[in-house]
Amino acid sequence: MLKLFNKSILKENPIFVMALGLCPALAVSTTIENALGMGICTLFVLLGANIFVSLLKDFIPSKVRIPAYIVVIATFTAIVEMILQAFSPELYQNLGVFVPLIAVNCIILGSAEAFANKNKVGTSIVYALGQGAGFTLALFMIAFLRELLGTGTVTLLAIGTFDGVIRIPGLASAPIRMFGLAAGAFFVIAFLQAFLNWQTMRKKEK
Amino acid sequence: MRKILIIGFKLTAICMVASLALGFVNVVTRPHIEENKRLALQRALALVNEVGTPGEEVIIADTGVVRSYYPVFLDDGTLSSFILRVVGVGYSGDLVLLANFEPSGRLIRAFMLAHTETPGIGDQPERPEFYNKFIGRGDADNPIPTRRTHLSRADSDSVAGATITFVGVANALADGAAFVRNVLAKDPNYAKDIGE
Repeated sequence: MLKLFNKSILKENPIFVMALGLCPALAVSTTIENALGMGICTLFVLLGANIFVSLLKDFIPSKVRIPAYIVVIATFTAIVEMILQAFSPELYQNLGVFVPLIAVNCIILGSAEAFANKNKVGTSIVYALGQGAGFTLALFMIAFLRELLGTGTVTLLAIGTFDGVIRIPGLASAPIRMFGLAAGAFFVIAFLQAFLNWQTMRKKEK
Repeated sequence: MRKILIIGFKLTAICMVASLALGFVNVVTRPHIEENKRLALQRALALVNEVGTPGEEVIIADTGVVRSYYPVFLDDGTLSSFILRVVGVGYSGDLVLLANFEPSGRLIRAFMLAHTETPGIGDQPERPEFYNKFIGRGDADNPIPTRRTHLSRADSDSVAGATITFVGVANALADGAAFVRNVLAKDPNYAKDIGE
């Protein structure tokens, strides 16, 4: 189980290895807060969809399995949307149209079709947690670098008088604004992907 | 035939369970969402209104550009301006704005209440400085610019890439200004009796 979890986080990372879910990765990774919010929302939908698809795999007729999966995924997405709107309206506004678009995230449908459909509930939960954690980790890494280079700040949790924003001297006054744009996100993803590939190749050579 | 019926029954069952789950979550979250919307409206009213106190909202229509208005009164009870809820047409849906106009039609301030434009491209109207090109305009002699060619070079460049959003906001504000000039300035109690 632990091996499957680790594998789905790193070796089968949805963004850096499978290149799935790139649209939200580009769009919401402008700040760490948005990236973590989107990651957790996706993790919730992924987990719910995997559990139900795995439970219903013998009930759902194979001819109409994709529409049935879409109903399950869209239901969990709508639930996330309502919960965010009710309890975190600012994050809901920041994530904008990308919250309802979780329903068409390839990671979720891919996970339901390729894994949950063929495995037991427990294994599907572990796989969903791994994929969700891998997606959240990837978004966090992209957002950290984009925020650092694009605005010269790092946003953490606000505690007491500390507003949660660390301003990097030099970079905060003259940030590389390109990294705040979609093109910058592509560069960051490409550099991180190249780094991970280099690490994997180095391990193989050893 | 029997196979198709079984498939239909199974899909219906899945949809019914999904509907029940969504209905339950809706019942739990609806009061919080309504309260958040009320607070957001209060904040927006405070942002567009500097001097007076907004009165009761007067509903005009469910469709069209001008949906409702709030008359704004000074402390001595005199009418100072009108805050209109106007709806423009954006690139991917409605642009809902609160805009405060003097009785002459001149725009005092505006605020975007809701939109579904593309984040990072069409969300410029979320920024207060976006409205600088409209503020102080809207009376009969100085209309609100509704085309990029009506703007200065710097303002025109600032809306490049999101022209449809700009036109949607500008048309909504221009219609709002015309409504204040032509209707509310002449009859400040317009449509107040509709809801009574």
